[in-house]
Amino acid sequence: MQSATNRVAFVAHCLLNQNSKVRGGARCPGVYSPLVEVLREQGWQIQQMPCPELAFTGLHRFWAVREQLETTAYRQHCRRLAGAVAGAIEVHVRAGDDVVLVGLEGSPSMGVHVTSSDPGRGGRPEWPEGADELSPGSGIFIEELAAELAGRGVPMPRATGITHQLPDHDPAAERGAIVELTGGPRGG
Amino acid sequence: MEDDERGFRIALIADELVNPRDGGVDGLAVLERAGWGAVQLPSADYPDAVAGPLMEQVAEQAEEFARHGYVLVIVGRRDGLAEALAGYGIAALPAVEPESAEQLERFLATAGTAAHPSQA
Repeated sequence: MQSATNRVAFVAHCLLNQNSKVRGGARCPGVYSPLVEVLREQGWQIQQMPCPELAFTGLHRFWAVREQLETTAYRQHCRRLAGAVAGAIEVHVRAGDDVVLVGLEGSPSMGVHVTSSDPGRGGRPEWPEGADELSPGSGIFIEELAAELAGRGVPMPRATGITHQLPDHDPAAERGAIVELTGGPRGG
Repeated sequence: MEDDERGFRIALIADELVNPRDGGVDGLAVLERAGWGAVQLPSADYPDAVAGPLMEQVAEQAEEFARHGYVLVIVGRRDGLAEALAGYGIAALPAVEPESAEQLERFLATAGTAAHPSQA
């Protein structure tokens, strides 16, 4: 934190650390540059959220859809993490800072507008090639974060998601969405 | 890990090096250029009641990386980090408090030569 009226972006863990991704999911060695570049250009501070899947199902986890993570234990885990993040968001909101959230579209946990869902998925990890699990909606952690903030009387920040794991990923459109979310350069 | 570009190298990095003040070292930019991932430490400006649970998450996630052989280092200083890591069985990690981007680059170049995990 630096001063009042800061602009603060809470970002999904993997956007600063691709090592947290499920195997086969890392798009770069570490920091996802397209997001950081836009945030830096526009004068946003960065705050990294924890990765709910990393600490729960570990680095050797399979790709998963919401239904596989939709358990009481995982909800409780996400609630614990959401409480920590909400506490930090609350500090900034109470200080009058502008706060946004950047999740990860297609994620069963961190999706903002697109999550993944397939009620039939389970058992031996094989499914028809090209099976489409993407569906509208938020991930489980994002839902829990919204609930935690509501309980504190703190509005959910404006939010979008990085789209690099979606099949129709368009880098220019992704950048445009971030720029739209963050509202252009300070004073612009 | 076909088509996976992870670098297997992660820095636990102080908030002021992710969000540098005027003239401060931009540690995140250095990590980005060097191909390291970042785990951001809670801002020292947060009250303890806010920073504590965030630090707990840092330590919990660091333990998962350490157990799988990823290279971990500490960049910058954060009170309470050593205790949080020790709570998860992580002993002292290589650390630097960089006074310049060049110093951090040299440190990462040395630290990053540690054994590369296979199928970590």
